Amino acid sequence: MIYTQVLANGLMLGAIYACIAVGFSLVWGVLSVINLMHGAFIVLGGYLAFFSWLHLGLNPFLMIIPVALVLFALGYGIQRYAINEVVSKPVLITLTVTFGLEMILYNAMNLAFSATPRRIVLDLGVVDFAGAMLPLDRIAAMVLALALTGLLYLTLRTSKVGRAIVAVRMDRDAATLMGIEYKKIYAITFGLGAFMAGACGAIVAVVFPISTSLSGLLLGKAFVICVIGGLGTVPGALVGGLALGIIESFAGHWLGSQNAILIGFLLMLVLLVVRPTGIIGKKGYE
Amino acid sequence: MKTPVISRGVAATALALGLTLSFFGAPAVAQTIKIGAPLALTGGLADEGKKQAIAYDMWLKRVNDAGGITVGATKRKVELVKYDYQTNEQRAQQLAEKLIVEDKVDLMLAPFGSGHTKVVAGVAERYGVPVMATSASSESIFNQGYKNLFGVLAPNTGGINALLTTVSKSMPAVKRVAILGREDVFPKSMATTMSELAVKAGYQVVSSEFYSVGTLDLSTPISKIKSLKPDWIYITGYSKDLILARKQMADLGVTAPVVTMITGPVYKEFIDALGPQAENVTSMTWWHHSAQFKGNDPWGSTKAFYDQFVAQEKSDPDYVHAASAAALVALQKGIEKAKSTDKKAVREALASLDIVTFYGQIKFSDNGMNGSKELPIIQVQNGVPVPLYPDSVKKGNLRPFK
Amino acid sequence: MKNQRIAYLLFAIWVIALASTPWIANNYIVKIATFLAMYAAIALSWNFIGGFAGYPSFATGAFIGLGAYSGALLQNTGWFAPLAWGAAMVIVVVFAALVGKVILKMKGHYFAIGSIALVEVLSHGASSWSGLTGGGEGLNVAIMAGGPDFIGKVFLFTMIAIMLMAFIATVIVDKSRLGFGLRCIQQNEDAADMLGVNVMHYKLLAFILSGVFCGGIGAAYASWVAYISPGDSFSILVTLKAAVMVLLGGAGTVFGPLVGSAVFVIFEELIWSKFLDYHQGILGLVVVLLIFFLPNGLLKIKWSR
Repeated sequence: MIYTQVLANGLMLGAIYACIAVGFSLVWGVLSVINLMHGAFIVLGGYLAFFSWLHLGLNPFLMIIPVALVLFALGYGIQRYAINEVVSKPVLITLTVTFGLEMILYNAMNLAFSATPRRIVLDLGVVDFAGAMLPLDRIAAMVLALALTGLLYLTLRTSKVGRAIVAVRMDRDAATLMGIEYKKIYAITFGLGAFMAGACGAIVAVVFPISTSLSGLLLGKAFVICVIGGLGTVPGALVGGLALGIIESFAGHWLGSQNAILIGFLLMLVLLVVRPTGIIGKKGYE
Repeated sequence: MKTPVISRGVAATALALGLTLSFFGAPAVAQTIKIGAPLALTGGLADEGKKQAIAYDMWLKRVNDAGGITVGATKRKVELVKYDYQTNEQRAQQLAEKLIVEDKVDLMLAPFGSGHTKVVAGVAERYGVPVMATSASSESIFNQGYKNLFGVLAPNTGGINALLTTVSKSMPAVKRVAILGREDVFPKSMATTMSELAVKAGYQVVSSEFYSVGTLDLSTPISKIKSLKPDWIYITGYSKDLILARKQMADLGVTAPVVTMITGPVYKEFIDALGPQAENVTSMTWWHHSAQFKGNDPWGSTKAFYDQFVAQEKSDPDYVHAASAAALVALQKGIEKAKSTDKKAVREALASLDIVTFYGQIKFSDNGMNGSKELPIIQVQNGVPVPLYPDSVKKGNLRPFK
Repeated sequence: MKNQRIAYLLFAIWVIALASTPWIANNYIVKIATFLAMYAAIALSWNFIGGFAGYPSFATGAFIGLGAYSGALLQNTGWFAPLAWGAAMVIVVVFAALVGKVILKMKGHYFAIGSIALVEVLSHGASSWSGLTGGGEGLNVAIMAGGPDFIGKVFLFTMIAIMLMAFIATVIVDKSRLGFGLRCIQQNEDAADMLGVNVMHYKLLAFILSGVFCGGIGAAYASWVAYISPGDSFSILVTLKAAVMVLLGGAGTVFGPLVGSAVFVIFEELIWSKFLDYHQGILGLVVVLLIFFLPNGLLKIKWSR
């Protein structure tokens, strides 16, 4: 039944989409910063995973955590020393800062890695399930993406740092009164966003060729997913990602592939008007 | 209150400075021939732009080492004026004017992108500066009636016809074609042209779909193709799209006796990125390094070009490299034939040029495109693109895709 | 008041300088002058919605692209170019009015994404509707006859004219109740509402103003280059640049966008041609430093004591 395949395609794609968006959504929801570097972070994660695979023969799935940690450090540093300066300013200011930083990062990556598309060649085979062909690397990517997202969710719910992040997001001043240094929390959150981006990049490098020009596309997807799912929440990014994956898959099937992306954006517009907080979104609650 | 005085002063001074500099500018070295080269060093086409740059530099060094281009009785060295147009249309337009008006280039090369080529050609046409395109093969690029735009790539139809000939001869049982193209100037043109010509050649086109720019997943159209069970799958796009497509075909268990991708397989990065999955994919190209052309150009033969490239880059050149160098060769020959660098004279010379070079024949049709000729068809065999057609370069036979 | 007069005078000199470039400099400088006028107009347009009203709009890309395609299609059916440009502006006004009613109900971040979605929808729409727009292959526009000097002048004056229109509109808005109302909305929309400001109406006007001149620019630009395509016409990057220019000069002021756009364009021009490998990074660095050290723009620095 072709619909099983279409659905499976949509879910696998959706899980990756969720992973792409969750870091972006977190930063946006907690810091109110639209981080235009997010796409570039993912690409950077992808390149780091690719080159470790190419030169050191390291399996990208093993590299997910190390790469993510590198990105965390980068993100933390950028937030602490650059973005924190402007974090209270209107959205346009923070947007412009991340715009400028993105250009610097993009230039650096272009010089260091060049724009040739790179892909980690890891053919793990295919599994036939209920009439649908499921490539194992996509399944693995999906599982990892979901696991990471779940891990993030748990961290926010249960760990001390996680609760602090949520508290800052709900009410920064109240949180400060409770003894939370919000600037430090901001830096950690941004670092976490970068962490998720880096991990996502390592995963993406297996299923899609990485190149610097990919960063813009990924950022665009993140936007759409956040709107569909709801800003700032992990379940929101998950739902949004899966929803977009399934929608694009079915829209492509019924209406032709050239309209798949258009449908996604139209849906986004409609949702913005009708229900801007997204499917899940209730700001402030995990 | 408002205190704009000093800031306005800054802006005014900057403009004044700019104007002054433009008057006095850098004095041109009287004898050097200047050729403008807008390159995509950043942005979406940066990878392709890099290839052009490598080829341009190869030609430049070779020509200047030999003393330069022969213009009548003297030899004059060449200077390539390069700028990064950032894969941005506005920049391309601005740059074109800058090269012509400020750098005072004698001739120009076109940028890599199709739309960008049109925009640059538009500017150059008004000044009567000949522009040589290195990577434009769609007739729609040459359809604005510009007299100064030329291109070394033959139109897509030639390659498609060669492809159809090859397949119909080697595998006559193949009858049903599924086509998937990217919604972008060149890939779309390759898809629609295939659609038209395949029908004329007696094939049945079972599906013809397009995917938009920015698609990160092709599993839906590929699943559709799977359900139609075609004999021949034909996909167009840029390298990253084709790499994705091939991978997802494997993911979904999609095969057919013939699988063609335009133009991925001719590029090293496609084969590198897919490893064993690149095997048996066919494609068309505008030039293959095993050709045996000999001509009166800085290299003299295809082999000489190939040898220099391999020694320098440690990998095989693809048609983009060759065409970029050939574009400069064409301009060179235009100057030599006109015996001057006068733009009008060179344009006339180019229009009537008919030569053979390391790249093959260069003879421009009325619309500026290099005449249709037998374009090579290749198939990846044992990790290397092997030419199947025409007979002059043939090194292998079409194998069924597995 | 005296400062105001000086400002107007300097602006007049600036316009005269730009307009006289065909006679005192080469065609490349004329082109730069044209781009200066063009970006000034785009910046002034964005200033209405982003500066005065404080709504971070990315719809500029949509307006320019819509203007480009409208103007191109009309011209291709035989319309006289300047009329086509004018008609394109009308089309953009209608579009902005219809869309604005819906999109302006959102605030802050959501409005921003909504406006981005607008650009993407139009871009992909133009790409899909290939029967009308040529799709991914792009659209040829009727080529205007004339040598480079003539064409250079035509488009220089066109862009200057649009810039002047935008400037005059800005001055009028600045001094009118609309401007006052928009500033109130920026400070506190609910309070403004309670004070009797017709919030939706004013926002809509600002949104329309932010689009109309961009429509004209898009249409004129299409005629200038004689070929347009979805990706290049509907650009979010252009809007980001416009926002940066306005922020650089001073948002919500009359002369801010002019100063910002001029400095940005000239700066980009000087850096871009000199540093082939690093220009993007340098520009990024400049933008970042700008935000840190000049958060309110050049004009709001206390220059005088």
